Amino acid sequence: MSFTEREILETIRMVALETLDIRTTTLGINLLDCADPDLETTCEKVYAKVVQQGAELVSVADSISADYGVPIVNKRIAVTPISWLVGPSGARDLVPVARALDLAAKEVGVDFIGGFSAYVHKGFTRADDALFSSIPGAMAETERVCASVSLGSTRAGINMDAVARFSEVILETADRTASTGGLGCAKLVAFCNAVEDNPFVAGAHIGPGEAETVLNVGVSGPGVVRSALERLGPDVDLLAVAETVKRTAFKVTRMGELVGREAARRLGTTFGIVDVSLAPTPEIGDSVSDILEAIGVDRTGAPGTIAVLALLTDAVKKGGAMASSAVGGLSGAFIPVSEDQGMIEAVADGALSLATLTGMTSVCSVGLDMVAVPGDTPAHVLTGIIADEMAIGMVNQKTTAARLIPVPGKGPGETVEWGGLLGTAIVQDPGSFGADVLHRRGGRIPAPLQGYKN
Amino acid sequence: MPRRFLTAEDVRRAGAGPIEVGAQTVVTPHARQVAEELGVRLVTGGGDWVPASPDRGPDAEGAQASLPHLPEPEGDGESGSVIVTAVGRNRPGVLAEVTQVLSESGASIADISQRMIEGYFHMVLVVNLSPGTDFASIKERLECLGGPEDYAVNVMHERAFRFMHRV
Repeated sequence: MSFTEREILETIRMVALETLDIRTTTLGINLLDCADPDLETTCEKVYAKVVQQGAELVSVADSISADYGVPIVNKRIAVTPISWLVGPSGARDLVPVARALDLAAKEVGVDFIGGFSAYVHKGFTRADDALFSSIPGAMAETERVCASVSLGSTRAGINMDAVARFSEVILETADRTASTGGLGCAKLVAFCNAVEDNPFVAGAHIGPGEAETVLNVGVSGPGVVRSALERLGPDVDLLAVAETVKRTAFKVTRMGELVGREAARRLGTTFGIVDVSLAPTPEIGDSVSDILEAIGVDRTGAPGTIAVLALLTDAVKKGGAMASSAVGGLSGAFIPVSEDQGMIEAVADGALSLATLTGMTSVCSVGLDMVAVPGDTPAHVLTGIIADEMAIGMVNQKTTAARLIPVPGKGPGETVEWGGLLGTAIVQDPGSFGADVLHRRGGRIPAPLQGYKN
Repeated sequence: MPRRFLTAEDVRRAGAGPIEVGAQTVVTPHARQVAEELGVRLVTGGGDWVPASPDRGPDAEGAQASLPHLPEPEGDGESGSVIVTAVGRNRPGVLAEVTQVLSESGASIADISQRMIEGYFHMVLVVNLSPGTDFASIKERLECLGGPEDYAVNVMHERAFRFMHRV
């Protein structure tokens, strides 16, 4: 036999008992050629191109899942930021484009389509301005469309005008989707150092350097890592922990590499990257928080949390780097609070505060993700939270994100149930002080010295 | 230069005659509808236009032409085989049930191992499918065997194990 029994049973155990899966196969589609002086025609072209290119994605993913026995949970589409193709029309209301994307997503059967996006980390074009104004309507009127904006970068600094504007957009989106607990904001994210090949929603889109079409894969596997650490026990030292995470991440990523190669071949496109991220779900056992606790903190959010998260993120990257022909996207560990059962419990127990979460984002792969705040949070407080998050990314030359959800009618400590993959959230307390002057000043925080690399 | 898109407006503007579209032109659903309503023919190189497979772009052409452009993990030439595992409570007839499905499907068993621990067993079979066998249907038949209180069968392609355990 070419494999040992141990190897075979290990793989079976990962899939059958430890929820190893491919979190997403995301087809990137460039839509720049859909630009048209007439917005209605732009929408017609966008719909036609997404449907034509995306038609086979779901059936190909399902056939790979069946052939190799590895579950592929989500099939998604990422497109060119919409603000780049609506310029010629001069349109102010871009909700029709979001509707076209939503219809196309439903037609091809993908669960989300990302790219209702704009890059404004240094300034706004007319089209970017229109996109910002259209986000609340787009999030309220569509089901599967995700929006993302780039507000800062290490090279450009932080556009504080955009941050302040985005805070207002978040509040309006929450207001327009109040009946579902502000759920529109779960499809809306702001980035510093946005990545152009991110396969995960809500931030999925295809940047300017990408090909006509590209297939990217996001792997998962918190359950596999946690089980490996539990078998290791509490008595081994941290070097052994890091080594175990690394080896496990390697094996998990290899499945992503296999699926990515095969999906690209069957679709007739290029294989882009594997995003080696530990992405939790609300399912029991599929939690990043559980891993942190298995490594050595009593509760996620306790002192020591940032240190163990740093170890985890780094070990995942090291294991994944060797396993894939091209690693990209966000790659590390996600800490979406409402989507991780362990984190929900940590918030409920008072262990995990907004301040600790912000600290954790300096070493994880993304940022403040799926964090519920009171519905009456003033815009200047949101501006402060987002600016802090952008600053962490800018100075540390890493991607950071903010996906904040003001829950209408709810205050700190109250619970909101979004259901499905989005899970349950306990509203965090942002404190009683804000940043009114910072919010009103506007302008840009200039790029830090770290950005002057030429 | 063939057009990139054919939209409803393009069809309305073109008038009554047939419209020449390139093989890779994206004809929008709306354009097809309008063409049908107006009785306008869409033609490609003299014949009727038929929807082509999508143009995935120049990089995709290159990638597809050079497949497999990435080295596969090492193996010993068993590629294409399938690994069947069964785990559960031991009772007479389990091996017979599994091998019966395999033989009915024309599959041959290349290797088999079985182990018993306190009334429970696990069994690993390396199986070569005969050419033309539908993997999905044999997988479904095998995984329907056993049951919650009995045993569970898992079928995976050998390539999945090769990717995970070989470099």
